[in-house]
Amino acid sequence: MKKAIIEFSIKRPWVVIGLAVLITAFFAMQFPKIKIDTDPQNMLEADEPTRLFHAATKDNFNLYDFIAVGIVAEPTAFTPDQLNRVYRITEEIAELDGVIVDDIMSISMVDDIKQGAGGSIVIEPLMEDEIETDEEAQHIYQRIMNNPILRGKIASDDGKAVAIFIPIESKKISHRLYTEIKEITDRLGGNAEYHVAGLPLAEDSFGSEMFVQMAVSAPAAMGVIFLLLFLFFRQVKIIIAPMVVAMMSVIWAMGLLIFTGNTVHIMSSMIPIFLMPISVLNSIHIISEFHDNFKKYKHRDATIRHSINELFVPMLFTSMTTVAGFLSLALTPIPPVRVFGIFVAFGIVVAWFLSLTINPAIAMLISDKTLRNFGKDTGEQHGMLAKVMHSFRNFSHKNYKLIISSFAVVVVVAAVGLSLIVVNDNPVKWFKKSHPIRIADNAMNSHLAGTYMNYLVFEGEDEGSMKSPELLNYMLSLQKELAKDKTVGSTTGVTDIVKKIRYELYSEDSAKMVIPDNSNEIAQLLFLFEMSGGNPDDLFKFVTPEYDKANLWVQLKNGDNMAVSAVVDRGNQFISDNPPPVGITAKWAGLPFINIEWQNQMVSGMQKSLASSFVVVFIMMVFLFRSFKWGFFSMLPLTITVMAIYAFIGYIGKPYDMPVAVLSSLTLGLSIDFAIHFIQRLRVIHKRTKNFNDSYHEIFEGTGRAISRNVMVIAIGFLPMLFSTLVPYITVGAFFFAIMIVSGLVTMLLLPSLTRMFKKTLFN
Amino acid sequence: MKESHLAYFYSGDDGLSDVKMTIVSKKGKERIREFIMIRLDIEEGGNQKYYTYFKKPSDVSRITFMVHKTSEGNDQRWIYIPSIDLIKPISADDKNSSFVGSDFSYEDVSGRHWTEDTHSLKGEETLDGKAVYVIESVPKKKYKGFSRKVSYIDKESMLPLKEEYFNKKDKLVKEFSADKIEVIDGIPTITVRTMNNIKKGGHTTVSFNKISYNVGIKEDIFTERYLKNPPRKYIKK
Repeated sequence: MKKAIIEFSIKRPWVVIGLAVLITAFFAMQFPKIKIDTDPQNMLEADEPTRLFHAATKDNFNLYDFIAVGIVAEPTAFTPDQLNRVYRITEEIAELDGVIVDDIMSISMVDDIKQGAGGSIVIEPLMEDEIETDEEAQHIYQRIMNNPILRGKIASDDGKAVAIFIPIESKKISHRLYTEIKEITDRLGGNAEYHVAGLPLAEDSFGSEMFVQMAVSAPAAMGVIFLLLFLFFRQVKIIIAPMVVAMMSVIWAMGLLIFTGNTVHIMSSMIPIFLMPISVLNSIHIISEFHDNFKKYKHRDATIRHSINELFVPMLFTSMTTVAGFLSLALTPIPPVRVFGIFVAFGIVVAWFLSLTINPAIAMLISDKTLRNFGKDTGEQHGMLAKVMHSFRNFSHKNYKLIISSFAVVVVVAAVGLSLIVVNDNPVKWFKKSHPIRIADNAMNSHLAGTYMNYLVFEGEDEGSMKSPELLNYMLSLQKELAKDKTVGSTTGVTDIVKKIRYELYSEDSAKMVIPDNSNEIAQLLFLFEMSGGNPDDLFKFVTPEYDKANLWVQLKNGDNMAVSAVVDRGNQFISDNPPPVGITAKWAGLPFINIEWQNQMVSGMQKSLASSFVVVFIMMVFLFRSFKWGFFSMLPLTITVMAIYAFIGYIGKPYDMPVAVLSSLTLGLSIDFAIHFIQRLRVIHKRTKNFNDSYHEIFEGTGRAISRNVMVIAIGFLPMLFSTLVPYITVGAFFFAIMIVSGLVTMLLLPSLTRMFKKTLFN
Repeated sequence: MKESHLAYFYSGDDGLSDVKMTIVSKKGKERIREFIMIRLDIEEGGNQKYYTYFKKPSDVSRITFMVHKTSEGNDQRWIYIPSIDLIKPISADDKNSSFVGSDFSYEDVSGRHWTEDTHSLKGEETLDGKAVYVIESVPKKKYKGFSRKVSYIDKESMLPLKEEYFNKKDKLVKEFSADKIEVIDGIPTITVRTMNNIKKGGHTTVSFNKISYNVGIKEDIFTERYLKNPPRKYIKK
């Protein structure tokens, strides 16, 4: 089988290339059918109870996702000029397509409950029309401060910031609206600072920028890899092969993903970036071997046969272990992660197969004449790489005990670091600090009650059960409890409407700003709200028309899952310590809540998949080396690399977020590779030399150079990703670098030391 | 238009009826409001006084509500809240606001004075077998309620059979229909009417029962004293 494939590739290079191009063309033709999905909600299964409840809550209370516009003006936003600008901006935003006009919350759109002429109650727009005097502006400020439903939401207590909350039909249009709103604020804004924020915006914008990043970072990485390969091999024709293999693997995997009707999610958009290094790795080993042996064999076909023979087993196993790492993602409960794992695994199989066929085929197209200087100019024994490898050899030979004990210390230090890992995520923080969305998020959440909205939904068994004084007082005490958390910017419920009406009804008497003690009065106060010009739709955002469910809005200043969890836990703790009135339950909904839900699932899912792939890889190693001991040693570089990288994350305090979680399978899949090559080749050499010192000497030559070339190509090749505007891309770039450097070092330092120390037992 | 307005909002010299209002949400959920409504015309086409006694839902029963409507200036409204035994004036600045949470606005219930709009006859056609005038009304002053309204007025009874409300963008937002017309005490009366809220979804249907006209209602009923103590003569709890 192996022979047949390779002989075919050597004898009929054009057929192989032609077939590969045809299949690639088929998959490339699927690309126009691409369906993009950037909604983190889809991290949960469609029928996940949390998601269904969130959807039901939005439906029951007519809630929409919203974009928030924050306006910060010094020394105050409450001047006629600034408020009139807000007025005009709001008017224009209301005209935009996809904006739920009736639900816009802006100074110029909201109603205020107040005293009218003759002690009457009136509910009317806070700012009916443009204003002229400072007194009017000050009056509006005072009214907001006096209204618990508005305070903190549409204006900050210091009067420097005001906000416009814009409910939108669907998250998918937030990026388009962002651009349109920006145009309006640029044109009508004046001197104030304008910020646009909100979770749906972050999520949708991430989707748009993600593709820009893909288009920039993937080719950039390709370019750098190409340059590095040229530096190593000085032969353009031969290094085309790895590029072709990488590109084809990516196209096949993505093409199949699209062809099978899967959506390209934030996760799957990373497939090309993950596949590229993996597919380049095998080719580099082949070319490296080819390069180092061409002088010996003089002919390309003989050299290729030799190279592939040498590399077939390690390549098969390095690919299979990486496949195992990614396939284990299929065990997670998160659909996009499953899709990601499965298609990366597919891509790796493709890359493995193409490496075995395309590399020989392309090499065959190059004449021996062109290759005649190949491998000579870098000089096997005298190149830079060779020198570095020789010093590694000498160092580990002399100091093997020191190396082993140092790594023992590393393991201990890493174990401590692992315990410091903080699990946290926030889609807004997928953007760099300098990104306008991050700046907006900071500015608005420091001034106002927050851009993140959670809901705590109370459900009763009977219609009207939300009018009970017992329940409203309970809700109020829960509001007080939640307010103790500094993440909570404000809480608003039907309680606040009842209190506010009562306060105004009794001529602004603060003592009357409490929940009445009988349900008829509550019902009548709310009836008064509807009679006095109050928009019933405003009321029904907090309670259903049947009064069987109530919705407490919990506005948060911080969307970090950790902060949101703390608020949710505080609420749940209160509810379990102080059970709600009989027959009433309280449950959470909201986008931030959904985010913590899928994070929890992801963390536990990733732990399972990492553990299972670790076991699978170990079994594969024992099988490959037919030795428990070798299997055990081969797992060390991987274990130490995973521990060291994640410990580093723990020490520097970088949150364990979605990309970091998913990268654990890549780390596992890639960091075993060098160990496989090292051990497999060492044993093959030893079989031939029958002398440990000779084998030890030789392994630092060809294999050592191949590994160090790989380390450099991948580590440096993905450095351009560090300049990305999106944090997950930076993380991925940094990971490639770390995986290569650490697993390369562990393999070339620890494994030689260990084999030297245990040579008797290992080579028995 | 004036004739239609009078036929619709000023039937007889006074009127008394039981009203059942069914507010149906977009999702098909119903809320019921039942009240007794008493109307007295002080002058035909001019000032009017309304008295409303709420019966259902039960937790708001005994709430009473009174309007002194003037043809030119602002209306005056009062509400009595029995649970706290308090009478409060309610501001009437925004006549377009919802009446008790229904799809009818205050103005839809008591009438927008015909002099506030410019009317033009757009044509004559038949609607459900009845000959109607099609009249377009455009507010003289910028108005939130509508920027254009098209009424289909029955030539015979002069009652509106259908009204279409258009917003600024000239999109149909609300549609009124007279679902049932009965002749009571010789006066054609819309006894079932629906306001269909096209923009938000949902609708409100109002049915009038036990209608009587020219019952000789006295003006002193429309005072604060009777808000607290409903006139037993007309209000049967």
